[in-house]
Amino acid sequence: MHSILTNGERKTLNKRDALRLAKERSVRFVRLSFVDILGITKNVTIPASELERALDGKVTFDGGSIDGFVRGEEADMMLLPDLSTFAVYPWTAGTDAVEARLICDIATSDGEPFEGCPRTTLQRAIEDQRELLTSVRSGLEIEFYLFALDDDGTPTTRTSDAGSYFDVSECDRGEAARTEIVMTLEAMGLSVASAHHEHGAGQHEIDLNEVGVLAAADALTTIRTVAKHVAARYGLHATFMPKPLETLAGSGIHVYFTMGQEPAPDETARDDQLDEVTLWAIGGLLAHAPAFTAVCNPTVNSYKRLVAAWDAPIYTVWSYRSANSLVRVPASNGGRRIEVRSADPSCNPYLAMAVLVASLADGVRTRTLPGDPLTGSTYELSELDRNKRRIRTLPKSLRQALEALDADPVVRGALGDHVYHAFRDAKIAEYERYRRAVHPWERDAYLRVY
Amino acid sequence: MVDSVVMSGEGLVDFAEGLARIASTGGGPKALAAYVAASLDAAVLVEDADWRHVALAGASTRSIPASAREPIGAAQRNGAEAAVRLPTPGEAPEGIAVPIRGGDAPLGWLSVFPNGGAAAPRIGFARLAAAAIAVELSRDAGGGKNRRKSFWDRLLARAYDDPIEARDDATSRGIPLAIGYVAVAVEAEGLEESSAQAKLGELRRICVDSLRSGTGEVVVLERGGGFVFLCPAPLEVDAQNARTAATLIPRHATKAHFGAKVVGGVGRPAEAIAAYRTVDEARESMFIARRLFGGSCVMPYEDLGVYPLLLRGGTTADDLRAFGDRILAPLRAYDEKHQTELVRTLRLYFDVGQNVKTAAAELSVHRHTVFYRLRQIAEITGNDLDSAHDQLTLRTAMAIDALNSHER
Repeated sequence: MHSILTNGERKTLNKRDALRLAKERSVRFVRLSFVDILGITKNVTIPASELERALDGKVTFDGGSIDGFVRGEEADMMLLPDLSTFAVYPWTAGTDAVEARLICDIATSDGEPFEGCPRTTLQRAIEDQRELLTSVRSGLEIEFYLFALDDDGTPTTRTSDAGSYFDVSECDRGEAARTEIVMTLEAMGLSVASAHHEHGAGQHEIDLNEVGVLAAADALTTIRTVAKHVAARYGLHATFMPKPLETLAGSGIHVYFTMGQEPAPDETARDDQLDEVTLWAIGGLLAHAPAFTAVCNPTVNSYKRLVAAWDAPIYTVWSYRSANSLVRVPASNGGRRIEVRSADPSCNPYLAMAVLVASLADGVRTRTLPGDPLTGSTYELSELDRNKRRIRTLPKSLRQALEALDADPVVRGALGDHVYHAFRDAKIAEYERYRRAVHPWERDAYLRVY
Repeated sequence: MVDSVVMSGEGLVDFAEGLARIASTGGGPKALAAYVAASLDAAVLVEDADWRHVALAGASTRSIPASAREPIGAAQRNGAEAAVRLPTPGEAPEGIAVPIRGGDAPLGWLSVFPNGGAAAPRIGFARLAAAAIAVELSRDAGGGKNRRKSFWDRLLARAYDDPIEARDDATSRGIPLAIGYVAVAVEAEGLEESSAQAKLGELRRICVDSLRSGTGEVVVLERGGGFVFLCPAPLEVDAQNARTAATLIPRHATKAHFGAKVVGGVGRPAEAIAAYRTVDEARESMFIARRLFGGSCVMPYEDLGVYPLLLRGGTTADDLRAFGDRILAPLRAYDEKHQTELVRTLRLYFDVGQNVKTAAAELSVHRHTVFYRLRQIAEITGNDLDSAHDQLTLRTAMAIDALNSHER
């Protein structure tokens, strides 16, 4: 049985193992990586000779220079590597500068876990729910676009393919790049379930097998790094922007959770009924969806994806089959896999997982039932139907989402005070910058008319 | 108006049966007083222990004192404890007052004033009437719990014609009445007599724990050897959740090591004034669950298809048509909206003995299309075409539809 903190199939290394591995792989540099409040991956690179000191948690950095991290007097932060995340970057293998990476937690200068560290926030959220969620595992389906780079290396929105769902385009650079991304991820120890062309031209999807919740969050940071690196070698840019083009499908991530163990044979269980914990978990997700949207869809651009098109979810509904429901429970997995379909890959993976886990657990704690599953498309729901079923609309802007976050103590609690305030301040500032900007659409619509 | 009963031994039995009939259908002191007045050709006054009027009936044909307090008080001072003769003004025959008692507790007095020409009331009739009224007054006088219970008993006995009257009465008894309710009937099977009471208490706790929600207090009513729970369901989603929670009760009982089979049924949502309907459906569903599904389950009425129709005697053509429409309406709506042929496909599928290949040929489509449509039909109607029970429901609905097709 895997505990929620178990990183799936990832091996747990000790310090000696890590040092030996680094030596065997001729590692010259180690990137000690972490993410900031916005989910952007940062790193401190050390020569391999410093690895032992790093493994002892003695490498520090100036946290004051990271947005939303620390106040001035707490600027010195320590990096605490998670040894199970040790991986060599495959593209450096065989070169003179072999690089490995270790994903780190952040501690204050006196060694205490830093409450502003997103990875620590997720671990705390998981620990808080351990009693209720004894064995949750998580998988991801991640969508992204591969666009061409200009001659000067600037990303464009041009693609070299015109493919759609599951198309095969063998001469396409995007397809070749995706294949290499998958190979690279597997070489780094990630378990890829499948990969395919997505709906939009130049849009791709990579699906990861279930692992522990923390490992799933680590995997998303890894994929973003790897995809960008590999794509660049093909003259492409991998973007995880939620909605790069108005006329094409946006990029989302589907986060799925498998709740508990296979239920024991039970003469009272009906074949067509989900396990009660699964039902309560769905109820929790639907109840807290408006609030966790701020974290799972954290950019102003995210809300251009959450519209009634391309199967993006817009309402707090669940179903077995509807592709545009917020939560789906595919029958093919014995009704034990809960798929959350609203998040997008611009999220901070650790914070997104933290709020989703807290929402699941709150549903179980409060025994919140989710109503009946919806059949058919959610886009066809009338206002009357939505009212009768107490279905809410997902926030239509970052501002609305932040207001919903403010009003939800469960989701706020999952973030903790420090992260909540830092995240909220950053996002309000982002929204205000966006609100004040004059966009090309406005000039197109109004310049001549008025 | 009830005919006056004959003042005989047999008449006493008839009179007692009349009282019981009124009480069992939720009639309160007012209804009982009206019955006594009509039966005994008298005016009837019911006062509580504080001499407040509880009911007055038949007083339009003769004058009676405003209260029987004075003559009763005088008689009590003279040592009278049982019946008291009541002098009346003018030529009218004297009346009789009997105490209304709940055990040893005095609850009030019943005073009967016969009309001119009527026989003087016999004390036995008055005492019988007082006993029946005592049951009703005990309910109301027994504190908040009994007052509340009395309300639900009356509501389910269809004692209220007007929703506003029901709501006002509920409010006066401190009951927050929801707009609608879903009833869940639950019983345990095979309980040993020695431990039955304790086990029922345990079952009640398990059920309330399963059914509680944020929409209001679950009403618990003891019925026979089990319970009926009324779950507030102001919205459709609340009814859905109550139904889901009810179907989980057997699992919770198993997890709680309850040690006996739990069987139950869930009615469809109904407005508060029509709560009896959801209760009846819940009990019917429980009966069907026990007979057809072997117990250890709580079956929602909506999932039982044709069986409630078969169970109920005296089904009318309208009932049958309503059933057929209820089952097929979602398919028809889908066909109309999406220009599909799901109803036709289902009919053909049954007509050709569920042979997909033949159905495909008849419809001039590939057999995979038939499979796809059958999956759609199952999803839209909520009936599994591989289940014999669900097939019976769909076949019956199709048959009713075919028989009534000329009306369409």
